[in-house]
Amino acid sequence: MPILGIALDELYQYLGETLPPGRLEDELHRFGSSVEGWAELGRWRCPRCGAVTESAEPGTPPVACDGCGADLREVDPPAEDLGTVRVLRMELLAVRPDLFDPPGLARALRGFLGMEEGAPEYVVEKGDWSVEVDPALAGPDVVRPRIVAATVHDVDLDEARLRSLMKLQENVHWALGRDRKLASIGVYDLRHVSGPNLRYRAVPMDGVRFVPLGFDPDDPEAALTPAEILERHPKGRAFARLLAGARRAPLLEDADGGVLSMPPIINSENTRVTTKTREVLIDVTGLEDRHIEKALNIVVTSLLESSPGAYARTLEIRYESGIRRTPDLAPQEVHLCPVETSRLIGVDWSGEEVAALLRRMRHDAEAREDHVRVLVPAWRADILHPRDLMEDVAIAHGYDRMPAVALETATYGGPLPREGLAAAARAALAGQGMLEVMTLALTSEEATYAKTGIPDRDRHVRLENPISVEQTMLRVSLVPGLMETLALNLGHPYPQRIFEVGMVTFVDEAAETGAREHLVAGFALAGDGTGYADARAALDALLHEMGTDPAAVEYAPVEIPLFLPGRGAEVRVGGKAVGILGEVHPEVLERYRVIHPVAVAELFLEELPGC
Amino acid sequence: MTETFRPQEAAVLRALAAREGAAAVEEIAREAGLDQSPVAAAVVRLAELGLVEVEEESREELRLGSRGKGFPGGEFPERVVARALRELGGRAELPDLPGKTGLEMKQVGESLRWLASRGWAKKEGKTLVLGDPWKDGEPDLQADERLVSRLRDGGPALREDLAAEGLPVDEALALLGKRSGVIETRTRRRRFVSLTDAGRQRVAGGVEAREEVTELTTDLLVSGRWREVDFRPYDVTLAGPRVSLGKEHPFRRILEKTRRVFLEMGFEEVESPYVESAFWDFDALFQPQDHPARDMQDTFYVARPARAKLPAEELVERVGRTHEDGGDTGSLGWRTRWDRELAGRPVLRTHTTAASIRALAADPNPPRKVFCVGPVFRRETIDYKHLPVFHQVDGIVIDEHASFAGLLSLLGTFYRKMGFERIQFRPAFFPYTEPSVEVFVWMESRSDWVEMGGAGVFRPEVTEPLGCRVPVLAWGLGLERLAMFRYELSDIREIYLAHLRWLEEVPLCRS
Repeated sequence: MPILGIALDELYQYLGETLPPGRLEDELHRFGSSVEGWAELGRWRCPRCGAVTESAEPGTPPVACDGCGADLREVDPPAEDLGTVRVLRMELLAVRPDLFDPPGLARALRGFLGMEEGAPEYVVEKGDWSVEVDPALAGPDVVRPRIVAATVHDVDLDEARLRSLMKLQENVHWALGRDRKLASIGVYDLRHVSGPNLRYRAVPMDGVRFVPLGFDPDDPEAALTPAEILERHPKGRAFARLLAGARRAPLLEDADGGVLSMPPIINSENTRVTTKTREVLIDVTGLEDRHIEKALNIVVTSLLESSPGAYARTLEIRYESGIRRTPDLAPQEVHLCPVETSRLIGVDWSGEEVAALLRRMRHDAEAREDHVRVLVPAWRADILHPRDLMEDVAIAHGYDRMPAVALETATYGGPLPREGLAAAARAALAGQGMLEVMTLALTSEEATYAKTGIPDRDRHVRLENPISVEQTMLRVSLVPGLMETLALNLGHPYPQRIFEVGMVTFVDEAAETGAREHLVAGFALAGDGTGYADARAALDALLHEMGTDPAAVEYAPVEIPLFLPGRGAEVRVGGKAVGILGEVHPEVLERYRVIHPVAVAELFLEELPGC
Repeated sequence: MTETFRPQEAAVLRALAAREGAAAVEEIAREAGLDQSPVAAAVVRLAELGLVEVEEESREELRLGSRGKGFPGGEFPERVVARALRELGGRAELPDLPGKTGLEMKQVGESLRWLASRGWAKKEGKTLVLGDPWKDGEPDLQADERLVSRLRDGGPALREDLAAEGLPVDEALALLGKRSGVIETRTRRRRFVSLTDAGRQRVAGGVEAREEVTELTTDLLVSGRWREVDFRPYDVTLAGPRVSLGKEHPFRRILEKTRRVFLEMGFEEVESPYVESAFWDFDALFQPQDHPARDMQDTFYVARPARAKLPAEELVERVGRTHEDGGDTGSLGWRTRWDRELAGRPVLRTHTTAASIRALAADPNPPRKVFCVGPVFRRETIDYKHLPVFHQVDGIVIDEHASFAGLLSLLGTFYRKMGFERIQFRPAFFPYTEPSVEVFVWMESRSDWVEMGGAGVFRPEVTEPLGCRVPVLAWGLGLERLAMFRYELSDIREIYLAHLRWLEEVPLCRS
């Protein structure tokens, strides 16, 4: 989970109040935000794009600029050191991007702490700008068909505000946008955008040139085509996969044909937002409307929340199929049944009480005859179902104040038969003085077959994306793990007697998921004087304890490289192979550096009759 | 009442009873015909029983020293020299004397000092001249000579005994003065044993001796002779040899304890395959198909087998629609396209919640309580706190009357049964539960709250497509973490790459 740094001074500025030390963390935990700790961060301004990026080591500039991706340790002129800031480190709660910046978090806390209730009101005027959407964006050359946009006026952007706006954009990309796939946000200085009719269209990959953010507009070489941006610009390379396979690039242009951005990759340099910016245009592109609307609402209300007196204007989004107006900050109306809520949470509430709790969570809510009418604010992206509001009610009430309710579900429990079998085998082997070991169920072909000499019957479950060469498959035998354990304990006094009871897995076409587990007991006996007879005696004892009729047991010689020739056997019960045992070949022992004789055995417990 | 004693003890008591007052240990031994050491041991034991008193006395014993033993024929060399002088007419040249006396030159040389001090001879140049005491014949033995002679003939003796015999011991020792090695004295401790009042009473009641044996043998048992013997008591405070026993793995005991807790509470145990379809691992749990947890980064996908079968078409359809637009659940859904192709991909199960959801689908009818303990797989690089395989416990309660408050109470009970006293609940987010909660326990060793697991009420988007219309409480918890706290492990690998020493050392009771 990514960590979010919330600057404490900014948070308290928007909260309008300072909390005593410790109280803020407690309240955030009660609210459901996980505080990881505190940090002192350095702030650095990028000389190329002007963006401010934080650095965990206050004296050292960060590797990559949040705005343009430039390496701030290498740039010339050097990055500007803006001093340090104390930040609260929180885990990003992906479903609540509205809490990702100080204004948004303060808005929620003002409700939770009882300073305000219900939803704040923001001013949204009808604007006369529009975006014309090219139907070609719906494919097949490129798939990025949807766009929403807003303008926000009379904003006040200082350094800190600019930086946290940039950060918010990045985090919303991650949380709501699934790394820009579902939603990609662009913010522009409205002064440099010619209105009123913008165009969102698909262009050939080499058809248009513009200077991407962070490149020098005076450099004639800096104007790049979409194809070149995907190759050369740091952000282009980072997000090229989102346009993989596209033959045309999405492009947002102003009324004069000036390029604003190439979603979802990069904005152009000349519409960059600075501390002088007083009016912004915001667009969000994506695959479907809910995600991009929520992203737009979160960014727009964050700006409105942080600049008293600011207001938003709508744009007309013109699709072939019809016209929409955004931003739409109208709340979502949900009817919540207080009886159901009380029953599910386990606290007896009236409709009034439920409504009051919801207002603490910044919903507008009022109790009606048989339900609570809830107006969910437009920036809440996580309310999919009335159930989500029940959680808000529970959080507002406080998890720490939930009544003790004894669970009255009367049922008869019982263990899995397989567990009984495993327990019996463990008792039988521990009773013979063996220590139980537990080894990893993940292993490799090398460790399973090559090292032990167990024949590869090509029936193992193979991983598609192993993380290391040592774990490429699910184990098919306990012997390699037992041998590894002996190899780890060369300095321990001998004799060593160890066992494991666990699952091995084989590919099985008849199984629903294509593979099946088998319960196996295995053991290894090591020490001078140990041999086949010891393993045989121990295995016979195990078979006895598993209730196997000795008359049905046969031992047949088996020659595999794991065993010394003539000292390995297959155990059969009623003619069916159920296990192996034998003296480990010195060549195998050498691979594990074991210098004492070892006898091993393993038994498929569920293959035994009656088990 | 007749008291029984070991034979040596009985002998000591009898010997003491037969005489007045104290007896030395060696006297008792002599009288009883025993060696001194068993008698001494018997005395120690009788003293412990309070039946005898032991008084120790130390006395000086005199015996010949190495030089004294070397005197020719037991005579002092100066007497031998003086006698020879006399026979030679009162004068002799020094170099001639060894030949005349049979002494070595060295002994002759040493004797000069004592010849002089006794006045028996004096040296004039190289000539030795006999002194007056010898003019009228050989003088009597002097005190020191008499002592040496006595010790040579009679062996070592106590100083007081020698004095009693009339020997002028003090004078002899004074004469010997600094003449080392002729006589040695050493201190002899003697123990005198006497009966105490309790001992006299006990002896008056009769003393019976019993044989003492060390080991109980089959012979003793079969013959019944064990009744007639005493068994030598052992020093029960001595350490025994170390035994290492076969036993279950410490982590197994945590897994078993966890299972026991749920079985005690009436839960039914279930399982699910390690190779699982993405459908049951993710989709049925309303985990969106583009959720980061489903990435190749975090989840092990399986190359062989290549496909998993999906359940009944109707169910797959309902789950898919719930993802896309909420289906019939009243939810908005994730508003992204749902791909059944992705649902059929096999993965290594990433959580035991897959077992819970399968159990719910198999029988959604309340009331049911179900749990699963087993390994899960995450694409983690092995280090001191991560493994690609670890264990979880997962559980669900399907009940019309189940509530979130009831879930918290249940979790409280579980964690208390697992040995945690202070528990804290914090709001959390999981894609498949709402409301959701994270459980923290107070860890005294860290003075902090530590996250132990997640829980919640399954979302309607999870339960309703499976045909379940009542609340389902659900929770999951990683068990290695619990084991690390319980056994104070700083490295999770210790569990799976185990040192046998650790397995032997962790007490069975500590789980």
